[in-house]
Amino acid sequence: MILSPAERSYLYDSLAQSPPIRPDSRSDHQFRPLEAKTAFLPGSNGSARIRLMDGSECIISVKAKVVLASQESSLIECDIDIAGFRDDSNFVSNLKFYLTNLLLHNFPVRYLKLTSRYAFKLFLDCIVVSHSSYPLSLISLTSYLALKTTRLPLLVSDVNDEEIAEQPTFSDDWDNAKYIDDYLKEGETFEPPIFITLGVIGPNLIIDPSTEEEQVLENGLIISFYNNNVITPISNINLATNSNNSNFKGLNRTLITKGIALGNKYCPAIISALNTLIEQDDEEGTIF
Amino acid sequence: MNVSEVISITKPVGLDNDIDSDVEMSDSENQAQDSFKQSIVTPGELVTDDPIWMKGHGTYFLEDRTFSSVAGNISRVNRLLSVIPLKGRYQPETGDHIVGRITEVGNKRWKVDIGTKQDAVLMLGSVNLPGGVLRRKSESDELQMRNFLKEGDLLNAEVQTIFNNGIASLHTRSLKYGKLRNGMFLKVPSSLVIKSKNHSYDLPGNVSIVLGVNGYIWLYKTSTGINSATNTSVTSNTNMFRASVDTTGSYAIGQGSVSITRLEEESSWEIYSDKNDPNISNSVRSNITRYNNVLRAMSFCELGITEQRIIMGYEASLSYSNIGSLIDKESMESICQDIINNEKMRG
Repeated sequence: MILSPAERSYLYDSLAQSPPIRPDSRSDHQFRPLEAKTAFLPGSNGSARIRLMDGSECIISVKAKVVLASQESSLIECDIDIAGFRDDSNFVSNLKFYLTNLLLHNFPVRYLKLTSRYAFKLFLDCIVVSHSSYPLSLISLTSYLALKTTRLPLLVSDVNDEEIAEQPTFSDDWDNAKYIDDYLKEGETFEPPIFITLGVIGPNLIIDPSTEEEQVLENGLIISFYNNNVITPISNINLATNSNNSNFKGLNRTLITKGIALGNKYCPAIISALNTLIEQDDEEGTIF
Repeated sequence: MNVSEVISITKPVGLDNDIDSDVEMSDSENQAQDSFKQSIVTPGELVTDDPIWMKGHGTYFLEDRTFSSVAGNISRVNRLLSVIPLKGRYQPETGDHIVGRITEVGNKRWKVDIGTKQDAVLMLGSVNLPGGVLRRKSESDELQMRNFLKEGDLLNAEVQTIFNNGIASLHTRSLKYGKLRNGMFLKVPSSLVIKSKNHSYDLPGNVSIVLGVNGYIWLYKTSTGINSATNTSVTSNTNMFRASVDTTGSYAIGQGSVSITRLEEESSWEIYSDKNDPNISNSVRSNITRYNNVLRAMSFCELGITEQRIIMGYEASLSYSNIGSLIDKESMESICQDIINNEKMRG
């Protein structure tokens, strides 16, 4: 996407005001409205779909497989497919790395263990049907919904198989399947980690920049959030991936701390909105 | 903290279930007669089985019967039968005031994206060159075409002709056309823009708009001259009048149109400048975003866009103190409902 020099400078000036005047007049901490649906794919353990007003859309399916834990390097594997990009392109492999890395380090993997030898392995398959702005936060919010609604079949065989080797067997009744949340101890809640993107412009930080805004940003921040806290990785990135951004420059340290504060302040609202949606979502209702 | 201030996540809303989806397909002959009476057809629907009709755009012919190939209205001109699509890409017509973006600089011409199937062309000879109309275009102009307009630049222009291969040719040989500055761009489906005599308006709140017939819209700060007495006027019929007032400071009788000498003055390098007005106030900037949201709401609700409706939408949006909430689906629908109600009341 190319902007004319006049558009670019108008947009930059608007966003550098305090408070910033965004093209769709969102406030600096406001996300674009989302439409989401969970648990609609019959063949997978968990699924979710998020759609934005501009037509950006992401679908994630979570499938579980019983594996010998000793033979697997990790119990979560992500695959990302983005329409219009080669699977081995930098763009896709970066996104894949971000998501895999975040989940590997911040996921209660111990609850995926079935017996001393067997474990569930989760496969996240993600399709970005269409996107306009940098799709990481879209993918990560969808993965949150998909993982939250993932149901794993109930183990009926013995948990202790150290002495007698036994293949795990599961209840045939899908109604007995449990959410990952149900495996957790009292007082713990299962809230997968999420990413949010922040745009840096002048003295301001803006949450969830749109495509036009990405074109004039001075820098971009990716912030991850887990267990009510901003966690690492926190990284900076040029969000305008499909054009050269002439405004791009170094990042002021104070803005990183400001970004962390912003994340700590507003991410709980995002998590609670996602949780509310899952509570209200029903089997009925339209997918489209 | 209120969650809705940060993010709104809703469930997808499908079509209303009370619409009966089982439409009877018309097979028999008397039904075919009926379907001809109703003016809206869908792709593959039988329009007529009478072979005397000539087949126009949007139709196809199989076994002596004419079917529609698009969803749209049947139009009959003498014996020519065509279907005009309800939606689709913009089809240029001579005289349309459009907004476009340069995509390519070529041999004595620019390619312009105006939302048509093929990019339009803007010939070097169809623009005002710095130095006035009386100047001939020379080789040096061909060499410095990127200094006038380059890839990504936005301009408003008029469709001059349509070549027989369907490509539109544009011109900017008037002071109301040319490069766009001091504002922001948005797109709506071209089918929503209702053609009228004039497509550039001054709106309340010191904002002006170029409502391109192709659905490309430019919202910008109303340019203020020395004499800004006419600033608040809404109708754009006074554009010409103001153009003559602005530069001279007083209205001279008989100066309704731009004189050649003035055109020369105006046609300096200024007209191709990329610099915005340095004094755009925050209130103008937020008014522009308000109009942007109103237009997006109208495009979301598929409401035809006219000057009157934009103003009514703007007035309806004033009741939202937080403009950011206008991007929610409910607010967009309520804005459009307000516009429709308002229109009904005025009759």
